[in-house]
Amino acid sequence: MTAVLEVSNLRKTFGGIVAVDGVSFEVRSGEILGIIGPNGSGKSTLFNCVLGQLRPSAGDVRVDGRLTTGMRPCDLNRLGVSRTFQLLQVFPQLSVRDNLVLAGQEHQGSMASRLFGLSDAGLGDAAEQMIEFFRLSNLADEPAGSLSYGQQKLLDAAMAFMAGPRLVLLDEPAGGVNLTMLGHLRERLQAYHAERKATFVVIEHQMEFVMALCSRVLVLAEGRLIAEGTPHDIRRNPTVIEAYLGH
Amino acid sequence: MTRAGLTIVAVALAAAVAAPFFLKPFGIFLISTWTVLTIAAIGLNLTLGYAGQISLAQGAFVGIGAYTVALLTPAGVPFFAAFIAAGFLCFAIGWALGYPALRVQHHYLAFVTLAFTTLVFLVLRNEQWLTNGIYGITGTPRPTLFGWTSSGARDFYFLCLGVLVVLSLATWWMLHSPWGRAFVALRENPVRAQSLGLDTRRYTLMAFAIGSSLGGLSGALYAPLVQFIEPNSFALGLSFNLLLMVIVGGSGNFFGPYVGALISVLLPEWLRVAQGYYLIVYSVAVMVMMAFCPAGVLGLVERASRLVDGRRKAISGTALHTGGTSK
Amino acid sequence: MASFIQLLVSGLTTGAIYALIAVGFTLLWQTSQTINFAQGEFVMLPAFFVLLAMNAGAPFLLAALIGIVLSILILGILFKFIIVDPMLKYGVLPLVISTIALSVFLKESVKDFYSSQAQPFPALVPAIDIRIFDAVVSTQSLAVLAVAIITVVALNFLLNKTRLGRQMQATAQNANLARILGVPVRRMVLYTFLLNATLVAVASILISPIYLAKFTNGETLGIAAFIAAIIGGFNQVRGAVLGGVILGVLDNLSAAYISSQYRGAFPLIILIIVILLRPQGLLGRVEERAV
Repeated sequence: MTAVLEVSNLRKTFGGIVAVDGVSFEVRSGEILGIIGPNGSGKSTLFNCVLGQLRPSAGDVRVDGRLTTGMRPCDLNRLGVSRTFQLLQVFPQLSVRDNLVLAGQEHQGSMASRLFGLSDAGLGDAAEQMIEFFRLSNLADEPAGSLSYGQQKLLDAAMAFMAGPRLVLLDEPAGGVNLTMLGHLRERLQAYHAERKATFVVIEHQMEFVMALCSRVLVLAEGRLIAEGTPHDIRRNPTVIEAYLGH
Repeated sequence: MTRAGLTIVAVALAAAVAAPFFLKPFGIFLISTWTVLTIAAIGLNLTLGYAGQISLAQGAFVGIGAYTVALLTPAGVPFFAAFIAAGFLCFAIGWALGYPALRVQHHYLAFVTLAFTTLVFLVLRNEQWLTNGIYGITGTPRPTLFGWTSSGARDFYFLCLGVLVVLSLATWWMLHSPWGRAFVALRENPVRAQSLGLDTRRYTLMAFAIGSSLGGLSGALYAPLVQFIEPNSFALGLSFNLLLMVIVGGSGNFFGPYVGALISVLLPEWLRVAQGYYLIVYSVAVMVMMAFCPAGVLGLVERASRLVDGRRKAISGTALHTGGTSK
Repeated sequence: MASFIQLLVSGLTTGAIYALIAVGFTLLWQTSQTINFAQGEFVMLPAFFVLLAMNAGAPFLLAALIGIVLSILILGILFKFIIVDPMLKYGVLPLVISTIALSVFLKESVKDFYSSQAQPFPALVPAIDIRIFDAVVSTQSLAVLAVAIITVVALNFLLNKTRLGRQMQATAQNANLARILGVPVRRMVLYTFLLNATLVAVASILISPIYLAKFTNGETLGIAAFIAAIIGGFNQVRGAVLGGVILGVLDNLSAAYISSQYRGAFPLIILIIVILLRPQGLLGRVEERAV
């Protein structure tokens, strides 16, 4: 069974600085993989290289066996790869509903059908379902900018899910979210995962969140992969502890 | 749109229909110019206000449209065929110009369109066998529709107004379709939009090509309106003028072009005392506006109405406002 | 051979002047995201400062100095603090539009408040024709060439061999990194504005004897600056110099072989070709994709 995501010897340098130094790993279908590591370990750079935001200096990325290194983010998204953002990235002037329709509309039909067809691109029901799933029903017509931080995080995740992606990369989904909302977010992610059998890769700082959500964890430090295993094992791994304490 | 907004549009439309009956021929010429320039401004607003690209070639596209009609109609081509041809030609040229320029960042389109405008001017001026060079083309005939001739000033005004209304409705439709949503996304957060599968390059190119074709359609009406066209009318000055129009009216606002074009057409008249100085006043106005209110005149109106709204809410108490905002 | 030398001299002369204009333009863009659409008018204007000073009675050299000082004050300091700084918080687009409006403002102001007629401008040295290998070359051209080359060399020395210059370059390459390394970034940005104002003033004084001082000069010079900067690669100051020289030489060659009616088209076609085939220019690096 081919891995959903396969990263081979990925390397990224900026001038003289090596941000990612020959990282290789696989993500199996249906798993929730966590990537942790101290600040500056290269997690975000790795993500951005996988997602086409940056061009890797060396190495390959494959999605479902297909080479996607350096592909534009929009093309990658149409292959079924979605992401959420660390810094909030909803569209504040559009309503919650419109944000969701936008998130799915590019996967419906063609440019022409989007011009001459329905104004919601036929996504009215799907958006409604997503709103209910994330329990945002009373906010559906509010401009997204008026939602609380935690609610926007939920919307961000909802938008990533709208197109029914195979693979979702979540960039620090727990960042800045209060405890109650955090539990709600994790619970919704787990529910979506169980329902759709989607594959997740999560970068996170918050240990509790990662341990509770992920089935397998990779640890990055100084651009290199230093450990891999279940959350339980990682917690006890001396190299990992060293990497965190050493900072 | 709000009830208040719809009322204003209805009133404005009524005024536009009634106006020619109260104006002398020169006044009718002015409002006809307003309708024609608004069409070009709507196009530029798409490019600048919705797709965030600077085009300095809108004047050149008006010129291409004008010359297309001025050359085809005397040769026997029916006006509306030439009209459509002008639109398609400018769409194609816009696409061809934009495709390489938009692959790069850094507002390269601004430079390419600047170069293009100068090139178009040189061609129009030099290729006398085709365009009659600096001597220009006179007497472009005004069209006849089902037996109704539009050669009279008032009749031609109504033709222009009709075209403006049709194109406005078409633009309204487009901006409320998924394309419109895509344009908002493009403008607000292109990185996020890309990650959702939105091909920002394609949409930007489309906005620019459509915007350019509207310039061509505007030119197609301009030729029979002014009855004398020559290369200098379509040089960089017109492109600047259209740009300033869109900015002052309110870039990215649906009604911005209408307001901006109105100001631009009337300003030289108001400043008749300070004849040549209106460009200076205009450019200073733009700089001041960019510093304090980049959203233009309509942005100021919006800010003012929000202030009034806020004050009203504070006075009457928020208890009266239940539920969400109505749009 | 004779005409070749003549073309070479005139090409290098114009090229050196284009280089000065393009370098300032590139530096402004790199350090402060300012795409100065008024750069052409910035070159047109200082000549009029000089003329005003001369009308007030100053001898040419003093007037030239006054022109440079006024240029630094108005096109450097005023420009930065009144137009660029307040606008930057709104993003690049409003700033570009402001510079477009500024170019219209400067051009119309000169036309309305000084004159719409081309004004003769004194040359650096009296124009005497001398012969070099059978070619007839004017001392004026040679003087302009000499001053331009000296300025370019001095510029190169400033930017590459002095601490100040290297700090400016660092700011241009990566402002954040420079700040971390202790470079006083804000001051460096101010210096690039002052430097640009000086360069355009020098270019103005060099070019006005040839073109005459006219309010429309900005149009062609502005386009030349953009094209030179793009040809050389936006990232590189060296590239702007290279781009300017290439453009100047090609421009003069084309004048010899292409009909004068389309003379102005040649640089524009080069621009479109460069953007089509090699948008990063000759020396620029392919940009990291942001979107």
